[in-house]
Amino acid sequence: MTRPYEFVYIFDSALEESQIDEHLARLHQVITSPDNPNPVTETSHWGRRTLAYTVAGKEVGHYVIVRCDAQPDSLTELERQIKLEPAVLRHLIVLNEGLAPLTPDEAETEAPATATETEAPATAAETEAPATAAETEAPATAAETEAPAAAAEGGTE
Amino acid sequence: MRRRRKTCPICENSIRHIDYKDERTLSRFTTERGKILPSRLTGMCARHQRQLGTAVKRARFLALLPYIRGYAR
Repeated sequence: MTRPYEFVYIFDSALEESQIDEHLARLHQVITSPDNPNPVTETSHWGRRTLAYTVAGKEVGHYVIVRCDAQPDSLTELERQIKLEPAVLRHLIVLNEGLAPLTPDEAETEAPATATETEAPATAAETEAPATAAETEAPATAAETEAPAAAAEGGTE
Repeated sequence: MRRRRKTCPICENSIRHIDYKDERTLSRFTTERGKILPSRLTGMCARHQRQLGTAVKRARFLALLPYIRGYAR
């Protein structure tokens, strides 16, 4: 019995998309079997994005989201292969429990994917996020949470 | 004299599952240091608050959200 999964890979951003596709095809051979010839249902390249913190000494990563139907016991082998793959900075394998279909919200995920040369769109999105956080949550709560953090910072420095 | 409980901001948008890849939405429910806000402040229903916890932790692992915001590299 196969189950629906979602994989997220963060690849080294030095690789081209075609190279990444080769890597993916090779990795996904593990979950391909005679009774499950086409396990991958959807693939979405987010493209280069700035990481929120450095991963393996890298500031930028190429995100790829893959939806597939796989045998649960084939995943241990897949995971082993992924770990042996130096091009994958980080990966996540989760069961797809009713997540929305992979049609990316054009505004934020398509923009960095098309403009892969410049990091600007990704960083812009990141700096925007805290601003929305501040304005959408109640002002009182923002002030409340801010104070202890600021105090802690003052104490340590 | 009790204040009326806020309605769940996720249910209001009729979303059943919180997506861990949507870091814009997730960051709305974290403090400016990146901590997960309690349901007392988010007003979320228990189910969505549980989903939020997992989603934020996954997003952190994927470097979509920082573990600590504003921490110098």
